[in-house]
Amino acid sequence: MTLASLTKPWEAMSYGFLDASAKRELRRKMLKAIAVPGCQMPYASREVPMARGWGTGGLQVTLTLLKPSSVVKVIDQGADDSVNAASIRSFLSKVSGATETWDTTEATILQSRHRIPEERLRADQVLVLQVPNPEPLRPVEPNMSVARQMHADADYGRLWLILYEQIVRSGRVMQGAAYPSLVNGRHVMTPSPIPRWDVPKLHMAQHLTFLSAGREKRLYAVPPFTRVEPLVFSDVPYQVEDHAALTCHRSGVSGYFMNEIPQDDGSSAFEVSDSHLGIKTIRQAEGAAIRIGPTWYENGKMPQ
Amino acid sequence: MAYVATRGGERAIDQSERLYRAGLGQIDAARVDEIRRALPMLIDRVMGEASLYEPDLAALALAQAGGDLYEAVLLLRAWRTTQPRLAIAEAVLQDQLFTHRRISAAFKDIPGGQILGPSLDYAHRLLATDVLRGVPFIPTAVDPASVAAPAHQPSLAAWQKAQGLVADPARTDVAPDDIPDLTREPLLFPAERAHRLQSLARADTGGMLALGYSAMRGYGNAHPTVNELRLAEAEVRVRHPRGTVFSAGRVKVSQAEVTSKGKSGLLELGFCATLGWNEVKVISGATLDLNAPGAAKGSPVEEEFFLYHTEPVEASGFCIHFKLPHYVTFQSSLDALRGAKAATPAAPVKVTA
Repeated sequence: MTLASLTKPWEAMSYGFLDASAKRELRRKMLKAIAVPGCQMPYASREVPMARGWGTGGLQVTLTLLKPSSVVKVIDQGADDSVNAASIRSFLSKVSGATETWDTTEATILQSRHRIPEERLRADQVLVLQVPNPEPLRPVEPNMSVARQMHADADYGRLWLILYEQIVRSGRVMQGAAYPSLVNGRHVMTPSPIPRWDVPKLHMAQHLTFLSAGREKRLYAVPPFTRVEPLVFSDVPYQVEDHAALTCHRSGVSGYFMNEIPQDDGSSAFEVSDSHLGIKTIRQAEGAAIRIGPTWYENGKMPQ
Repeated sequence: MAYVATRGGERAIDQSERLYRAGLGQIDAARVDEIRRALPMLIDRVMGEASLYEPDLAALALAQAGGDLYEAVLLLRAWRTTQPRLAIAEAVLQDQLFTHRRISAAFKDIPGGQILGPSLDYAHRLLATDVLRGVPFIPTAVDPASVAAPAHQPSLAAWQKAQGLVADPARTDVAPDDIPDLTREPLLFPAERAHRLQSLARADTGGMLALGYSAMRGYGNAHPTVNELRLAEAEVRVRHPRGTVFSAGRVKVSQAEVTSKGKSGLLELGFCATLGWNEVKVISGATLDLNAPGAAKGSPVEEEFFLYHTEPVEASGFCIHFKLPHYVTFQSSLDALRGAKAATPAAPVKVTA
């Protein structure tokens, strides 16, 4: 045996950047995550050529899933052209040879920060959500070792308590994004800071969702056809953002999650947050042969 | 249409990066070489935090990052993690270190002697402003000692153990492949001893100082006395696939052992070692290690607290991530806020008499 026989010709980087040992660990943890929906799996979380907190968890999962025939879409706050989304997308295609797209219906892998696209995802698509803080118990228990024990005991009483206190103090649940949700009736997860508008899209969905926090070294999954139920009291229904009646001032679409753009005169204009849905709507109106996929929300309502 | 105007992302980030790099100018081998020779302490610090011992790469990372330490460490870590783990070196024992400096504050003299080695500890910190007026600073030559200090030194803790002053837990030999490796496994709590020491070894020097200093000032349980501080070179001995053990070279290492009187009536020890010479880091790290047993949850000397919060790549990355847009989450909070406001009847206006 020689040293040469143990190695291979030098290459600047492995296919998909991560080396085989990193991918193997991730694949094992991803399979475990699917097997126990919503349960956080610790993983080594290698450094990647991007700063922590900038989507390195999502990036590692996506890099592990990618193959040359993949079609990848990356969004940040719903927008494909957001600077960090553009940076991640070009890195992904550069290291894997995957095709880039902005179109939700064309993508096989979608990496996203803080949004789920408005067009329904299918069984042949995988959604990868970037997660800053994977621990729904963090507001009530900052210590991770203690929080881990609480998950093991399904001890979620203090989470219910803060929701109750919000109702008492403010007359409603004040949780904004990252609404804590019970997965498969067992583990409470944070769905990442997606707006409340997007949480119902995870419930009994056709697609597989991975949620990965690189800095915190935890990943978890929502497999297809899995219950995802926001924590609510039976007499206080879940409330999504009051956006159903808003209209996008650029594309004219309404009934979707909107970005609010403050105006000089003190009023607000709105534009659809799923930026490529806006683009497709405009191009369709201009007569281009554009197909807009079926959307989760119809006329501003999520069908039950 | 209107949306086209917003498709500036890719061009904008490209130009922004160009602007930054233009400020740094051309990077060539001469610049990297100069950084490596002129700034050995900085190189050591970066190599320690990156847990990658390669002075040329560390100098290159500093050149590319324009001296931004967190950027340099990230560059090296991202490079390091893709490299194959070819072999695991033999454990380095204290008395095998090629020791340059070894001091103890616990005793006036120690077996093997106090060896000051290179240090600025007793120097007057005066700026050599003449250099700026064109008069080079030429260091005065060192007078060699009449008797050279021994290259190898026993550990002070070994003497203390023989005296029955410190607990002497049995040493367990672990097969090289079974040594837990923090760079390939997640850090879980309570952390394995190896994970804690590895995490301290690659921790952020400044962060470790802040938390270690808080313990030294009184937020910890134990006041440290420097039992032994060493700057040394360690032989990296690895096994060739044919079975021969050979030295792959030497790396600079620093280590500190601090002690305090424990409740058990014995001395307790805290330990920290890192690649490169970095005294502030190892003394701070050893202080945290000393204070960790039995620390309250959430206190700065609890291992989960200090290991998570001194990780330079994670801490700096999360800090700068707040520059990313957060308008969706903000919108979601705003909606809840407006909803609550609309539901609350206006507070009665107080009329002053």
